[in-house]
Amino acid sequence: MNVTFSEKSAWGSLAALALVAYWYFPKAFAVASSGDEPVKLIVISVICIVVLILIEVVYHVVIASTGRSSSDERDALFDLKASRNGGFVLGFGLFSLVGHIILSSIPEGMSQPGALSIAVWILLTITVSEIAKLGFQIYYYRVGS
Amino acid sequence: MVGTRVRNNIRALRFDHGEMTQQELADRVGVTRQTIAAIEKQKYSPSLEAAFKIAAVFGEPLDAVFSYEPASR
Repeated sequence: MNVTFSEKSAWGSLAALALVAYWYFPKAFAVASSGDEPVKLIVISVICIVVLILIEVVYHVVIASTGRSSSDERDALFDLKASRNGGFVLGFGLFSLVGHIILSSIPEGMSQPGALSIAVWILLTITVSEIAKLGFQIYYYRVGS
Repeated sequence: MVGTRVRNNIRALRFDHGEMTQQELADRVGVTRQTIAAIEKQKYSPSLEAAFKIAAVFGEPLDAVFSYEPASR
C-alpha cells in the first residue's frame, strides 16, 4: 500500500479528533452558556481526553503492527509545513476571539462572553487548528509539495 | 497535481541496475519506499543529502540522476 505510517497516523488522528470534537463541543457550549455547572464541563472534558487518548493508542498500535513504522525527511517536512499552516489558523482564531471580546465590551449594556464560554472557544480554536494541521499534512501526502 | 521542477531518471536507473526495487533503493538511501515513489513521480524534491545518496547508490554523479527545469517566462 502506498501510504506511510505517518500518513496513516494523520488520517487516524484527524478522524478521532473530528469525532470527539463533534461530540464534545455542542455539549461544552451548552454547559458554558448555562453557566451553572462548571464541574460538568470538567467531567465531559476529561471523558473526551481519555477517549481520544484510547482511540489514538489503539489505532497507532494497530497500524504499527501491520507495517513499517519508520519516518523520513519527507514526513518531517510535511509535518513542519502543516504545523506552520495550523499555526496560522490558531493565530487567526485567537485574534478573532480577542477582537470579539474587545468589541463586545464597547457598547454599553451588551452581554459579555463568560469565562467558561471563552475557555470553550479557545479549546475549539485549538481543535480546529489541529484539524487544519492534520488536513494539510494529508493534502501534502496526496497532492505533493 | 503540485509537481516539482526537479526532474530525475531514477526509474530508468533502477531498471539498469538489476531491476532494483523501490524498497531496495529506499533501504540503501534511508528513506521510506513511499518517498522514493514520490520522487520518481516528481511529487517531492529530495533533500540535497538524499539526492547525493541516491546518486551514490547508482554510482553516478548528481547531475546524471537529477536535473532542474527552470520556470518558463
